[in-house]
Amino acid sequence: MDQILQLLFTGIGIGSVYALVALGFVLIFRATNVVNFAQGEFSMVAAYLMVVFSFDLGWPYWLSFLIALAGMALLGVIFNLGVYYPLRHRTYLPVIIATIGASILLANSVLAIYGPAPQVLEGWFSTPGIQLGPVYLDSQYLLIIAVTLALVVFNFWFFEHTMIGKKLQATSQDKEMASLLGISVSTMIMITFIYSAVLGGLAGILVAPILFVSIQMGSTIALKAFAATIIGGFGDVTGAIIGGLALGIIETFGAAYISVPYKDAFAFMVLILFLVFRPQGIFGERVAEKA
Amino acid sequence: MKLTRRDFSIGLAAGLAAPALIRSASAQGATIKIGMVLPVTGSAAEQGKFALNGAKLALEAVNKAGGVLGKQLELVTEDDQTTNPGVVLAFSKLAAQPDIVAFLGSIRSTQVHAMAPDVLKLGKPMAIGGTDPNLTHMGNKWLFRFRPNDSYSGSVIAEYGVNTLGKKKWAILHSTDAFGTAGGKALTEGLAKLGIKPVLDQGYANQSQDFTPVVLAIKQSGADVLGSYFTFENDLGIFARQLRQLGVNIPWVGSPSIVGVSSTRLAGATLYGTYGVADYAEDSSEASKAYGKAYRDAYKLAPDNQSAWTYDAINVLAKAMNTAKSTEPEKIRAAILAIKKYQGAEGEYNFDENGDGLHGYNIVKNEKGNIVFEKHIEATK
Repeated sequence: MDQILQLLFTGIGIGSVYALVALGFVLIFRATNVVNFAQGEFSMVAAYLMVVFSFDLGWPYWLSFLIALAGMALLGVIFNLGVYYPLRHRTYLPVIIATIGASILLANSVLAIYGPAPQVLEGWFSTPGIQLGPVYLDSQYLLIIAVTLALVVFNFWFFEHTMIGKKLQATSQDKEMASLLGISVSTMIMITFIYSAVLGGLAGILVAPILFVSIQMGSTIALKAFAATIIGGFGDVTGAIIGGLALGIIETFGAAYISVPYKDAFAFMVLILFLVFRPQGIFGERVAEKA
Repeated sequence: MKLTRRDFSIGLAAGLAAPALIRSASAQGATIKIGMVLPVTGSAAEQGKFALNGAKLALEAVNKAGGVLGKQLELVTEDDQTTNPGVVLAFSKLAAQPDIVAFLGSIRSTQVHAMAPDVLKLGKPMAIGGTDPNLTHMGNKWLFRFRPNDSYSGSVIAEYGVNTLGKKKWAILHSTDAFGTAGGKALTEGLAKLGIKPVLDQGYANQSQDFTPVVLAIKQSGADVLGSYFTFENDLGIFARQLRQLGVNIPWVGSPSIVGVSSTRLAGATLYGTYGVADYAEDSSEASKAYGKAYRDAYKLAPDNQSAWTYDAINVLAKAMNTAKSTEPEKIRAAILAIKKYQGAEGEYNFDENGDGLHGYNIVKNEKGNIVFEKHIEATK
């Protein structure tokens, strides 16, 4: 029982990281109908920005955090204007390929600027975790779980109860109709890119104290987050959260009770099963083939 | 003299071709070239940077001492991207250059395996750092290893853990790539010679984000000592933190990555008190100390095995070519195999018929972040 509780906590913790990145995938997909394969690199860039400001320059953690998120918002703008906007009238395939190209460019730019050495980024807390009976609760995982929960609530409120959220929803559902109703579609898409870049960045900063800061950290998480999005249903915010958590729990328990070396394979076996038997995911519409 | 159209054409052609011909003629004989495949991008890019540091340091020393056969030595590098297709492509680019006389290959066994058939086909010497024992035991006479192989590290880890630390219940943890699998097998064999069967033999896939199931398996096994073969220091750092967080404090003797510069920095206090086998240990010999000083002076960094093996490889290749008085592959090969008692940064080189230069390991201890030399164990295998 102790082991199950410990595995459940870790599974939910790592699953929350996938969920955060998956949220970014979903938001962009809803707004633009394409998958942004640079979403993982957003996480990596934000983690490096934190290292530069809080470690290299020695600025306060909270200030570095705000600057890193502001940097991500700017990256969202640049990404929208440089990668999506020029190709917005083409089919989804050139845009997807452009996002893959951008992800490679981001990774190699950081490599060229910062070098290949992985970096340590400390978390918010001075204590690494707490022992609750037989279960050890990593403080960083606790924070990640709390942030994910808060974001679920925030997203619900934002999309359902604010005017801008409703405009974003309208844009994602029917761009032409939204435009006829006086909604600036390009502004809404810009906001979506900014928000998903900030979300990806937040995930990167939160997970960095556990996984360290490295060029590969984004792609590793993004692959799982992508699988989580398929499982949850592409285009569905709740699905992204549920898919991420499910994936974290499945791979943790699969590793413990079936095989550790095949841990990553469980995620992709589940992904394949969903693509074959339920391509719309748990909650989503039938859009997985666009991925 | 009347200039005919034919004369004009010949003159024009000669005039256009001359600079290229002169450049090519002078380039062919100006330097002796050594090709090097290394990860500049990808997950082992950091290791690649260290490897290049070591090679460049040796290159400078060789050239300052007069070079090879009266010529300067030149290094031609290609990025292997830390992938098998990448390493094959990088090697093929270098192999296409006929004036490259020898090569430096990868520290990663998986990637040496990937390009080994092409090395055999080309028939020129290649210095490698991969420690999978099979690499020098699969009939490829062109591979020369500049680190001890894992049949030695396995027996040294086993001997130290059993005879010095007095531990009998072993958990073995290893990566499932070529290096980790061969290492885990070597440690199992080393323990078997001492009459011990491990209570846990656990593989893990590289680039893991979470080791909780592994740590719980170690806890449940009741092991009183852990032996490990980690390929990537990032993985080792994540594992070390989780191991200690989940309350497992048994002694730990690891393969060389446990005492690598990055592991020590990433894992911090969670690696204090652990032991590792290290081919490069700064205090193990006068040659190692001298290398450590030269490396620190040049790069303001702590030296480690990632750079020490390439430093030795360049020096040994230069020595072999000077002794052979030739850059012919067969003659270089014979000269390398004849090298005995050569004091390198990594240790004393005595090449055997398989191409293995080193046959023992140092045991070092992480004492509050400082890697301290404990003892050298010359393996019996």
